[in-house]
Amino acid sequence: MMDPVPETLPLVERRLHPWSWLFVLLQQVRQFLVPLVALLVFGGGGRDSFWNGVGPLVAVGVLVAYSVMQYFTYRYRVGSDGLSIRDGWLHRTLREIPYSRIHNVVLHQSLLHRVFGVAEVRLESAGGQKPEAQMRVLRLDEALALETLVKHRGRSVLVDAGTPAADSLLSLPTTEVVRLGLVSNRGMIVMVAAFGAAWQVFPDRVMANFIEDFSRQLFGYASHLQLGWASTAVASIALVLLGLALLRVLSVALALVQYHGFRLSEEQRRLTVQRGLLSKLRTSVARRRIQAWTLHEGVLHRLMKRRSLRIDTAVAEQQGQEGQRALKELAPIATPEACDALIQRLLPQAQWPRAQWTSLPAQAWWRLFLPSALVMVIVTGALLIYFGSTWGLLPLLWLPWSAYASRQHARRAAYTVDECVIAIRGGWWSRHWRFAEIDKLQALRLVRSPLDQRLGTASLWMDTAGASGLSPPLQIRFLPAADAQALYRQLSRALAHRRLRW
Amino acid sequence: METDQATDGVATAPQDADWHHLPARGAKLAALGSAMGFAIPIAVAMVALTLVTRVGSPWLLAPLGALIGAAFGAWIGVKRHRRTLWKLDEDGFALQRGRWWQTESRVPISRVQHLDLKRGPIERGLRLATLVIHTAGTRMAAVTVAGMDGTDAERLRDRLARQLDHDDDAL
Repeated sequence: MMDPVPETLPLVERRLHPWSWLFVLLQQVRQFLVPLVALLVFGGGGRDSFWNGVGPLVAVGVLVAYSVMQYFTYRYRVGSDGLSIRDGWLHRTLREIPYSRIHNVVLHQSLLHRVFGVAEVRLESAGGQKPEAQMRVLRLDEALALETLVKHRGRSVLVDAGTPAADSLLSLPTTEVVRLGLVSNRGMIVMVAAFGAAWQVFPDRVMANFIEDFSRQLFGYASHLQLGWASTAVASIALVLLGLALLRVLSVALALVQYHGFRLSEEQRRLTVQRGLLSKLRTSVARRRIQAWTLHEGVLHRLMKRRSLRIDTAVAEQQGQEGQRALKELAPIATPEACDALIQRLLPQAQWPRAQWTSLPAQAWWRLFLPSALVMVIVTGALLIYFGSTWGLLPLLWLPWSAYASRQHARRAAYTVDECVIAIRGGWWSRHWRFAEIDKLQALRLVRSPLDQRLGTASLWMDTAGASGLSPPLQIRFLPAADAQALYRQLSRALAHRRLRW
Repeated sequence: METDQATDGVATAPQDADWHHLPARGAKLAALGSAMGFAIPIAVAMVALTLVTRVGSPWLLAPLGALIGAAFGAWIGVKRHRRTLWKLDEDGFALQRGRWWQTESRVPISRVQHLDLKRGPIERGLRLATLVIHTAGTRMAAVTVAGMDGTDAERLRDRLARQLDHDDDAL
């Protein structure tokens, strides 16, 4: 029962795919699924057992009715310069979304979507908590047509006989995806999240009992073996190593599921990434919407001679879906040369890699060392008072290491700035380079702490849109005050005369 | 490499003609806000301290702590209020704060996204207003100036908002 949609008449109102109610329903059910199951399994019995059985059925019935109604009330129309979406029955809404406002287009196909030959489309604008429009679901060819339409800002006709060839910029073979899994901590994150969720969802005693029983069995087994001191140590080390290895395997598996067939391509100044093994994701963003760039190289990256290149876009991430949907990773993993080539291609004015960096004054290392030293001294003092023995001095052993690390950090910290781009670099074990076009800066801040005033230094902070809390801040620390002032003036003058283009 | 090494006026001179102080009548309000901010945490800390160390009575020390905290907070509030300066020039809006811990923030006019003008009942009585300048940034997404003169704030809002109208590509 395919809906014969006239593709050539742009002003006709269209509906979602006839099966869309099923996917809306599944989405709704998924939100309540775990609590429902938990209620049925663990909360059963007792005087309310009738309602325990009927309650979920009623809830599902209501959800089905809601989903079917949404299918009948949701219409969208493709205009010449924007989309308009009408939905609701009693409470009606009409949204007009100009194409120029859409920053990111996401096409998502889960396994079930693929069975039905449909896809979910999300149109995202800058900021906000929710996407501008979420079409759950469209027939795959309609979804693709909508994507091209938004890409061309509605200028071209819908039916393009064969899309113009897109330049492939980067594709990851399976070996690279395995490497990506090895360097990432996805497995650990998933395990921690699953553990937390299990603890929240199941009644307290169930999880606690499970862990208690398990550890008792383990200890019982271990004491039964009557191991010596050394063999116990070896056994526990082996156990820890096994756990770490399992986490890495899980990471690799997750990376394969998420990043299989990763391909970054460029078409008409628009970047598109597609990836995924079971559920496929295709997301695209215009090149000029990129707000800031981060190049990262951790220890494992360095061992494998790889780096990763991430970008910030102004599209807001939904809570709990970090990094899942929006285009954030241009190169999840690639050789340093490939990363540099990508930057050269996409941001030629950056003249990457830069040779000229202004580094931190060498004597500034102790400023990095100072906070950790203060904390250590306070901790040591507290321990001395609490234990009253010289063992309390043990934390002071950390200080030489910390001083050494600060020296190394100070040695590598540097910045470079010209008319177009400002870049900083930092880190030691785990290194980063972060840069942004000056046009994309939003605000500036000059900070002088009491110590800065005494030593004649200042720190300059630069703010960009869409920066995540995890990425290193765009700041230049411990600059000589005169340089900081000059740079601050130069940047504010430059910003005042350039319009924000995003 | 810096191109212009403008070394004039390295020490930010607050007596600069462009910089505007906040009206003095807002000092009391700033003092009140800051006093509350210090008094309550210190009172709570005192209660916790007396309960842990069992020295002194919480009924005596908590109000005492609150009083000292309020006095200190009021002093800080007045100081901060006196040291908050703003300026609007052709480059945009700038805000200077603090003497001990100095910050100077700048929002170029071209980066202003939208503006809020807030007036609480006390602020209204004193003809004051709070101006919030929003940018699309993340860490400095909003620059807030509390205790501004009401007419100044309105003038600023109109001046900064006019830029938005000129910027036809804003949306």
